[in-house]
Amino acid sequence: MNLERLPNEEKLGLCRKYYLCGFACLPFLWLVNVVWFFREAFRKPAYTEQTQMKTYVKRSALGLLFWFTVLTTWITIFQHFRAQWGAVGDYLSFTIPLGTP
Amino acid sequence: MANNTDDVENNMAQREAAQAPEPTQKPQEASGTRLRSSGGSGAGGGVAEGGSRGNDSSPEQNGQAPTAHPQVVENEEDEDEEMTLKYGAKHVIMLFVPVTLCMVVVVATIKSVGFYTKNDGQRLIYTPFPEETDTVAQRAVNSILNATIMITVIIVMTLVLVLLYKYRCYKVIQGWLFLSSLLLLFFFSYIYLKEVFKTYNVAMDYFTLAIIVWNFGVVGMMCIHWKGPLRLQQAYLIMISALMALVFIKYLPEWTAWLILAVISVYDLLAVLCPKGPLRILVETAQERNEPIFPALIYSSTMVWLVNMADIERPNRNSAEVGLPQQNTHGEAVASPAPASPSPDDGGFTSTWINQQQHQLGPLQSTEETRREIQQMPSARPPVEDDDEERGVKLGLGDFIFYSMLVGKASATASEDWNTTLACFVAILIGLCLTLLLLAIFKKALPALPISIFFGLVFYFATDNLVRPFMDKLALHQFYV
Repeated sequence: MNLERLPNEEKLGLCRKYYLCGFACLPFLWLVNVVWFFREAFRKPAYTEQTQMKTYVKRSALGLLFWFTVLTTWITIFQHFRAQWGAVGDYLSFTIPLGTP
Repeated sequence: MANNTDDVENNMAQREAAQAPEPTQKPQEASGTRLRSSGGSGAGGGVAEGGSRGNDSSPEQNGQAPTAHPQVVENEEDEDEEMTLKYGAKHVIMLFVPVTLCMVVVVATIKSVGFYTKNDGQRLIYTPFPEETDTVAQRAVNSILNATIMITVIIVMTLVLVLLYKYRCYKVIQGWLFLSSLLLLFFFSYIYLKEVFKTYNVAMDYFTLAIIVWNFGVVGMMCIHWKGPLRLQQAYLIMISALMALVFIKYLPEWTAWLILAVISVYDLLAVLCPKGPLRILVETAQERNEPIFPALIYSSTMVWLVNMADIERPNRNSAEVGLPQQNTHGEAVASPAPASPSPDDGGFTSTWINQQQHQLGPLQSTEETRREIQQMPSARPPVEDDDEERGVKLGLGDFIFYSMLVGKASATASEDWNTTLACFVAILIGLCLTLLLLAIFKKALPALPISIFFGLVFYFATDNLVRPFMDKLALHQFYV
């Protein structure tokens, strides 16, 4: 999908849809939104829909940051304390490494 | 393949069938899980640009643009000639990269994750005869029977697809494709992740895993079936082709796999080129109706803004419409998931094919179909736009799958590891080059499988049985040539 060919309203609509859908626990979608529309929103000369697009991209970036911190924290905690948690740790684990306690 | 669409679909169907879900003990499920993957999608390739070497074709290929503007004839022609040439080579390279990436992913997985080469004793429902038999003759017979069953399933699937398309059951086709890609993106990637984590002995919790699979799947569905960045879409298509190929490699016993590859190539050839071939019928029907075909599992290298040709509406389909200049124009629309109307060509064909396969295979999956959906091009194309954007080259996903399957099998089972793998890889690329060249010359949909698979098979068996002992002997005697 080539953004160049789209009229501005459609670009805005697309950005908006990506932003809204990202609320369904989809940080990856927000990442795609930020990367894809970054140039459109910030590097292109101004056009009417651009301000709206900027807010969407900024909010997507914020949401992405939030998810990133949450996931990193959780993964760190899990990897560090998994062995100590015993049964609960095993229950939470999808794959359990062999050998190490 | 230019006409690969047909083939692709067939392949897809087969693939679908082949992709029995892990627990092969459950036949129904197995069938279900078959990935309809884009085997069908294979149809697609074709160099859009390259083809037009001809004077007349150049203008067509390059799209309406040249013809649109009044220009000095000689210069035009020269420029067109040059442009065509340049585009041709570029498009070939544009197809090399995704094919290579897909193969690299498959080979890397085969080499590192033992799961895909381990023989669990499970088989797909489509290959019920075991290959661990007492005598060689029995094994040969079993593999021939397996291959026959598979090819029959694929043929039936293709026919069902053609029928569905003929009788305008578009919803069925689309639903099928949707389910297929759903299965592929969620279930198979889940299994893949599980095996990779097991191999690298990494602990993973359900929560993180759920987030990963959910994100991967949903964004994949959006990119493939709706709108998304081109690069991401291409990446997803490559990934699902690789997943499909891995499933095939795991679940098809050796001799069966090689036989199936050979038979599919022959079928591809027949289905696309014979006047009564199902794929050809599909393409022609789509053309007659002048409607976009569901963007099926077709990999498009660039987004092409549609330049509609007034005369021909070529079904983009999987067939390697690429070759055709006229098709390009139409196809362009098709090929690129441009916002414009969906190109009917690509998608439609494969979808139906896949759909059929899906039906045949079972309630589940139709990944292939979903893939086809991906290239959905908007139906309402804007009026002819002169756009000298590059035409994308399209190759069906089925072709990706079978190429990767060949190279993966070679790396999994060859005794001389890297030599054979590399030889097969080179053979397939050479075959692809030749196919694209033919596409440029003939300018119509062509099957992409036969030449590459034939070269690949020849190289595999020759390297494994002739070159390897030779190299071993040389190394043994420290004799350098």
